[in-house]
Amino acid sequence: MHAFDYQAPTTLREALELLSKPQQSARPLAGGTDLIDQMRVGRLTPEVVIDIKKIAELNALRVDSGGLHLGAAVPCYRICSERAIIDDYSALVDSCRIIGGVQIQSRASLGGNLCNSGPAGDSIPSLIALQATCLIAGPQGTREVPVESFCTGPGKNVLRTGELLIELRMPRRAPHSGSHYRRMIPRNEMDIAVVGVGASVQLDATGKTIVAARLALGAVAPTPLYAESASQLLAGQPVSDALIAKAAQAAREIVKPISDMRGTAEYRVHVTGVLVQRALQAAIVRARGEACDYRPGH
Amino acid sequence: MADIQYSWPDRDSSKVIGGRQIRLDGMAKSTGAAKYAYDINLKNMLVARALGSPHAHCTIKSIDSAQAEKVPGVVHVHVLDHAKPGREIRWQGELLVIVAAETEAAAMEGVSKLRVEYEPLEVFVDEFNLEAAKKAGRTSKDGGKVQLEKEPGDDEDEATFADKELERLFKQSAHVVEGFYGIDAITHCCLEPHGATVYWDNDQLIAYLSTQNVSGTDEGFANDLKIPADKIEVRCQYVGGGFGSKFAPDYWGTAAARIAKATGRPVKLMLSRDQEFKLGGNRPSAYLKVRLGADKDGVVTVWDSDHWSSPGADGPGVPQGVIPYVFAPKNYRRAVTKVTTNNGPARAWRAPNHPQGCAITQTAYDDMAARMGISSYDLFLKNLGTDDSPGVAGAKPSVYAAEMEIAARLIDWKAKWHPHGKGARRGDIVDGLGMSLHTWGGGGHESTCTVKIHPDGGVESFCGTQDIGSGTRTVCAMVLAETFGLGVDAIRINYGSSRFPVSGPSGGSTTVGGVSESHRRAGQEALAKICEMVAEKLGVPAAELIADDGRIKARGDAKKSVAWKEACAMLGMKPLEVTATFRPSRNKSPLSDTKVGGVQMAHVEVDTRTGLIRMRKFVAVQDMGLIINRRLAESQIYGAVIMGIAYSLFEQRISDPASGAFLNADMSKYNLCRLGDIGEIVVEMYEPESERSRGVIGLGEPPVIGPGAAISNAVCNALGFRVPVLPLTPQRVLEAIKNNAGRA
Ligand SMILES: Cc1cc2nc3c(=O)[nH]c(=O)nc-3n(C[C@H](O)[C@H](O)[C@H](O)COP(=O)(O)OP(=O)(O)OC[C@H]3O[C@@H](n4cnc5c(N)ncnc54)[C@H](O)[C@@H]3O)c2cc1C
Repeated sequence: MHAFDYQAPTTLREALELLSKPQQSARPLAGGTDLIDQMRVGRLTPEVVIDIKKIAELNALRVDSGGLHLGAAVPCYRICSERAIIDDYSALVDSCRIIGGVQIQSRASLGGNLCNSGPAGDSIPSLIALQATCLIAGPQGTREVPVESFCTGPGKNVLRTGELLIELRMPRRAPHSGSHYRRMIPRNEMDIAVVGVGASVQLDATGKTIVAARLALGAVAPTPLYAESASQLLAGQPVSDALIAKAAQAAREIVKPISDMRGTAEYRVHVTGVLVQRALQAAIVRARGEACDYRPGH
Repeated sequence: MADIQYSWPDRDSSKVIGGRQIRLDGMAKSTGAAKYAYDINLKNMLVARALGSPHAHCTIKSIDSAQAEKVPGVVHVHVLDHAKPGREIRWQGELLVIVAAETEAAAMEGVSKLRVEYEPLEVFVDEFNLEAAKKAGRTSKDGGKVQLEKEPGDDEDEATFADKELERLFKQSAHVVEGFYGIDAITHCCLEPHGATVYWDNDQLIAYLSTQNVSGTDEGFANDLKIPADKIEVRCQYVGGGFGSKFAPDYWGTAAARIAKATGRPVKLMLSRDQEFKLGGNRPSAYLKVRLGADKDGVVTVWDSDHWSSPGADGPGVPQGVIPYVFAPKNYRRAVTKVTTNNGPARAWRAPNHPQGCAITQTAYDDMAARMGISSYDLFLKNLGTDDSPGVAGAKPSVYAAEMEIAARLIDWKAKWHPHGKGARRGDIVDGLGMSLHTWGGGGHESTCTVKIHPDGGVESFCGTQDIGSGTRTVCAMVLAETFGLGVDAIRINYGSSRFPVSGPSGGSTTVGGVSESHRRAGQEALAKICEMVAEKLGVPAAELIADDGRIKARGDAKKSVAWKEACAMLGMKPLEVTATFRPSRNKSPLSDTKVGGVQMAHVEVDTRTGLIRMRKFVAVQDMGLIINRRLAESQIYGAVIMGIAYSLFEQRISDPASGAFLNADMSKYNLCRLGDIGEIVVEMYEPESERSRGVIGLGEPPVIGPGAAISNAVCNALGFRVPVLPLTPQRVLEAIKNNAGRA
């Protein structure tokens, strides 16, 4: 690994100043579980690494009337241990529980997962399904970007030089709603998703009709996808196997997976449909307030 | 002195043997105090890194190391002989140039500055595709064998007779199955890569080598370096995985010695992870087409197969001898084709050829059961034959039958088995049971041990063996502790140096047999000498004395005894040294034996929509003669089963057909098992008196043979059709489901 400087600012202002110094390349470090590995293999060679874990704003984790405020550097284990998040933002917890293992979850943040912008990042479909907004700060002030527009290509995103992701915001959970994330991996744990699907649904009071839904797909295109038409065709429809199958088909139509050693494109298209069905079914079960029989790995 | 009758104490009087002693080096290993070759750092040491060929097939046009030599910290650049301009390179990763530097970072930077011009040549790595291999001129006949009960007439051509006779036998068969089965190549994937840290002490070479062969690698260094073997000492206390791939110094080991000589400094050269995958060894693939016929009871009477196998660029493929595996039908023809590719050369892999033989043939037997609509258990049982007229060429049919019964009970075969493809569905999930049989030799290798007893009662042994993680140190200490009536902590075991008495390489599951022989023999002889001295003092014949509980006692007269220390004090000023050797021979030794058999059963669950397989339970029943350490024996089997699950479900070397590049030469992409993948594993030792009385037999390899067939058979039982090639990846499972649409 190359030699580099390390800074650990304690205020946002300091961090932004360090990030926008023109004479040196800088990179924020949250958990470092992507960054350090990429530096080790020489893919990234920042001159200065800026540890953002000591900044209060990036460690926020609270639910208020506006919804969930999730600081970009909050590690997965904190997310998994908050009752309010487990109940109301279940898909997020599903994601956090399968990112790496215990050691990784103790460090890895969702800000890092999103900013790494891998097509298979396991939190991104959940963030899309839960309608997250990214709060970004930079030399020109702050701006907000819907999470589905954040990633622009494998490893690429809308962040400009000097910008930092501060927080992910998700609206309050609607009544009779539920969400779920699952992925397909060849093994049962610790693997990169072949396909990942996030789903959130809102039902009417009877629990029989879908009021609104959001479906998101990972690992099947250069960026995680919001499956807009599949989501929309569910709205206002009574829950049925046929409806779910239709949504699965619509999701299959928008994916553009690659063939690689983890799976052929054809296989990924097929599994997309299967997982959309399963993710929707689980989200519906949760929306009805029933227990969802889900073991990671399926 | 009367001739010593070597023997083991019987089950009831054994104090140490057969117990569950924890590993003596467990603490050192888990705290990191244990020093592997990779951990040896010597004063003033250079670290070497090597450039591997990016091409799978090329000739070297030129090598320019000028820029590399200028990198600060780089001390020496060594171009390997086989990489000199004009030479042909036949697999990706083959080392070309080694750079030794003050630090690893400098060595790596040096490597990155090497400039090599290559002339790429045509590449072939698609070993699965026999037609393509033929077209590329990469196939050759690799033996075969025909055996028929009927003999050809005097004037009959043998080949024509075989054709006709086989046809006749198939016509006569009540049931005929035709099938295709395969298993991809995998690599050894040693956690500690191959390599060494070496230094010269004047004209003596000391090599800390990660090796399975302490006593035998000094010769390898000597031959290559053209120096006398007595000037070389190979040392190895711990090995981070070998699995059959670490028997020689390898050219990189001798290159390290050359660089150390040239620079006058110690040198450490370990392969990088990527190089370990590409060069450290792999297990040949094998693909088989077969037709087999059975009588109305399901006993297979005729077998006609043609298989191809690739050991990569060099080495032997899977031979005809393991086809079909364990089962020995009366009539067979088995032809073999070897396919040569631009992959690194194969090396022996835990139970060489047996896992492949088992996976591609006991699946065919299982398909016969499926065809007949009977339980695989019944078909396997019928094909065992009897001890007087065996239908198997492994352990005794009665041993397999007894083990099958135990395994069936442990996996609840009777309640859980259903005809192939006819199980109850839970949503998209179907489950199934499968089984397999295996066999292995495991007789002890030649081993010499010197036991030294100090006048203060201290006991140590010296033996040029090694502990490849299987627990050799603990086993040796237990044997001597039992022999002298002491605790294991009272024994000091010295091994891991080629200066010690010669002991065989740890391959073929020969170590436990070899070292327990040599240690027990030397121990019994030393004890006899101690007893002779004590006999005089106690006035009891030496033959009536036993070592027990820290004392030398008269058998049956507890009052007549001396403490061990007191007995040893009679040696005076000089320690007692006794050396004994075990040499395997035709005559059975009372202490060890050869040939084991085992039965394995798998219970799996298949998701018919994603193709994912989940292990529910795996049962391994194993005989191994007399068990020295039950915990370590079980641990060998757990490890083997996990390794077996990995190659059954996940593990495969993936090569890019166009460039020949090894695409997943990296731990994050080369899929081994995670803990969540293995399900419940149940290990049961089969050690009735009939087996225990045979003495010690090795078991490092046998339990890794069966998982492929057992798991494939379980998946076939679940689905009702075969997923033909291992590993059974989700994609392959889905393809099979598609190809058998309407049958799932
Ligand atoms: C063993 C192992 C297993 C893994 N398993 C999984 C898995 O199952 N699923 C999965 O999705 N991922 C997995 N990962 C990848 C990684 O752990 C996740 O992507 C993780 O969420 C990254 O978070 P981090 O906090 O460690 O990010 P870091 O490594 O600190 O940062 C990642 C990238 O984002 C940038 N960055 C971080 N924070 C910000 C910010 N606030 N603003 C702007 N840029 C920022 C960094 O500069 C860097 O480029 C695994 C990694 C390892 C090593």
